Amino acid sequence: MHDTAATAPAAAWYRASLREWLLTTDHKKIAVLYGVTSLLFFLVAGAMGLLIRLELSAPGLQFVSPDTYNHLLTGHGAVMLLWWAIAFWGAFTNFLIPIMIGARDCAFPRLNQLSYWFFFTASVLVLLTFVPGNEIRMMWTGYPPFSLHDNAGPTALYVLIIVFVAGSTLGTGVNFITTVLRMRAPGIGFWNMNLIVHGLIASIVVQLVGVPSFVGAVIMLYLDKYLGTGFFDPAIGGDPVLYQHLFWFYSHPAVYVMVLPAFGLFSEVLSTMSRKPIFGHKSMVAAIWAIALLGFFIWAHHMFTSGMPYWLRVFMSYTTVLIGVPTGVKIFNWVATLHRGAIRFTTPMLFTLGGIFMFLIGGLTGIPLALPAFDVNVHDSQFVVGHFHYVLGMAMTLAAFSGIYYWYPKLTGRMYPEALGKTSFWLVLIGSNLFYFTQMVAGIEGMPRRYVDYPADAGWTLLNQIQTVGAFVLGLGVLVSLLAWWRGRNGPIAQRDPWGSPSLEWTTPSPPPPQNFDRFPVQVPAGWTPYRYGPKP
Amino acid sequence: MKRNQRPRSLCAVAAVASVLAGAAAAAEPVAYPAGQWDHIFDVWIAVAVGIYLIVAVPMLYFLWRYRYRPGVNEVGATEEAGPGIEVLWTVVPLIIVLFLATQSVALYAKQRNAPEGALDVKVEAMMWAWNFEYPNGKQSTAELVVPVGKPVRLRMTSKDVIHSFHVPAAKVMEDAVPGRITELWFQFNRAGEYRSFCREYCGTAHAYMLATVKAVAADEFERWLAAK
Repeated sequence: MHDTAATAPAAAWYRASLREWLLTTDHKKIAVLYGVTSLLFFLVAGAMGLLIRLELSAPGLQFVSPDTYNHLLTGHGAVMLLWWAIAFWGAFTNFLIPIMIGARDCAFPRLNQLSYWFFFTASVLVLLTFVPGNEIRMMWTGYPPFSLHDNAGPTALYVLIIVFVAGSTLGTGVNFITTVLRMRAPGIGFWNMNLIVHGLIASIVVQLVGVPSFVGAVIMLYLDKYLGTGFFDPAIGGDPVLYQHLFWFYSHPAVYVMVLPAFGLFSEVLSTMSRKPIFGHKSMVAAIWAIALLGFFIWAHHMFTSGMPYWLRVFMSYTTVLIGVPTGVKIFNWVATLHRGAIRFTTPMLFTLGGIFMFLIGGLTGIPLALPAFDVNVHDSQFVVGHFHYVLGMAMTLAAFSGIYYWYPKLTGRMYPEALGKTSFWLVLIGSNLFYFTQMVAGIEGMPRRYVDYPADAGWTLLNQIQTVGAFVLGLGVLVSLLAWWRGRNGPIAQRDPWGSPSLEWTTPSPPPPQNFDRFPVQVPAGWTPYRYGPKP
Repeated sequence: MKRNQRPRSLCAVAAVASVLAGAAAAAEPVAYPAGQWDHIFDVWIAVAVGIYLIVAVPMLYFLWRYRYRPGVNEVGATEEAGPGIEVLWTVVPLIIVLFLATQSVALYAKQRNAPEGALDVKVEAMMWAWNFEYPNGKQSTAELVVPVGKPVRLRMTSKDVIHSFHVPAAKVMEDAVPGRITELWFQFNRAGEYRSFCREYCGTAHAYMLATVKAVAADEFERWLAAK
């Protein structure tokens, strides 16, 4: 059936000239551009995080001034969320979607190229915030009136960064939704498409619906600051809480932009490495889309203490806890997939299992934050920070690392070093749990977030020191993975299908040739699913 | 006493629970409405640890039991999901979260609604200080003096950016927003000096925007209030 598949390209993608990199419209090369940009910024934001942890390792001011600290916090938050947790999925979207649906590229390759260069422009603007005098200190949320205040740094730069990122997002969104709707090989439909394609597309749909609200909000910030309008200025009839509604209307669903692809990815790896079809395939698809839809009705749980009406707090509390139901379905289905499997503990599988464990803790610590009676004591505390580092930070990062290892042979044509991968996993898992669990305890003990300093007699010092140790173990784990990916370039030659998976990306050579497949339309047998494992009929 | 009602079996099954539960246990309700938060915390930690074990224990067991073994276990099964079990793990979590949300609403009403006859104090937040004004016009900066045993209702606003007043002893907080008046109530049951933190990021000195809540006996409070 696939015996006439494509032959390997004459030269692998990584041998391309600089000119080719700058002018390419090939989805696989653009995927690599996203991936490399995103990883570099992940390291920058990670280094900022370590500086934050160093500063907090003892009460008082040790290493940085409060203003520098606030710049580090803003940079760490904005870059980790926008450049890593969202943008890194851009690499997966570009690399995987066309191959998984049997297409030769995305629907609009030039638009795809433009989207990347918008993202690149925003990346350069982010680096400008390191130029003295340009530091942005308004946190990634940019709440007015503070973000309009001189203490917050240049508002225009923040607005411009968001606008360019949004341009990139919308371009990618239109492009890949069209691709999936119009370019699937015959026989691939809604119910047998790869779950990671569902996850990526659901996240793209969320962005397409939500991003305009966010961009609208920051443009209103710009108008308020420089042209004297008063959208958020109560002195002339505006309301600062309006910004929070517009901001969170996108930025809460944005957390699903970050985790829905991770959910899809967990399903891919779990099924392949357990040698079993994913349990409850249809309910997995339904859960992804239910979360994407429900995600738009829960934003105000970020605002339980912002002075909004009582009825809205109650309403948003109920809608928020409902998200737990489809999320629970996914977790139970993953556990059921393991039942009676033949489980292989490869590096991608370890990262996926770790990601599910972290997500479980993140989910369970998220439930109380949906309850105003609980939130009223821990809002803006370290508990919230610990919680979202479990649920976003680690679930997403472990998924991304799992994905890098899983598709490494496809991307490079080589196998990564397994021992380094496993070492990295254990360091990341131990370091991050030490760090973020302790952070949640500090929050329960009352430590507020976004504090450069804390009273020595508050009883938080030891908790902070444990976190700092954990953070450096986590950082070391990340470096070991980087080493593994670098060393893997000389690893053993990978077969076309090293994992034994029926999913389409494994039917083409590693690395895939420019047009992905030899013959179009790509043929899939009747009743095909990407998870056809188990005994041969 | 509150603390003794904590389900002890919980702490026995998971070290995780005991760490968090121990962290939350205020020895004595120093201030109202802290009890409501303690209660929702207890309910949540029981539910969370329970669900964690229900997921994690079978998961770890399956990982060990169904590991790949050459010649013994090389190929997974093809199980089709029956609708029964999927309905079960949709409906049961639904009931649990609706129960939690409903309980929270009941507790939240007590945390939000000040009892009759509360002492009204106006609060104005600014970068980076708190100013308190009493009904007789007396003002105080950075130190909020309150009578023991009497509910106090703060009516808050801000002069510049958004701040947030957190009273750790009472386990409640609310933002101070320019152009709005927001409310927060608490009642101290024991005299003493308690710390209060700004909980909404407000720039350079955010971490130093502390206030002291000084709870004093009722007669002492009256004397303080009457003094110039």
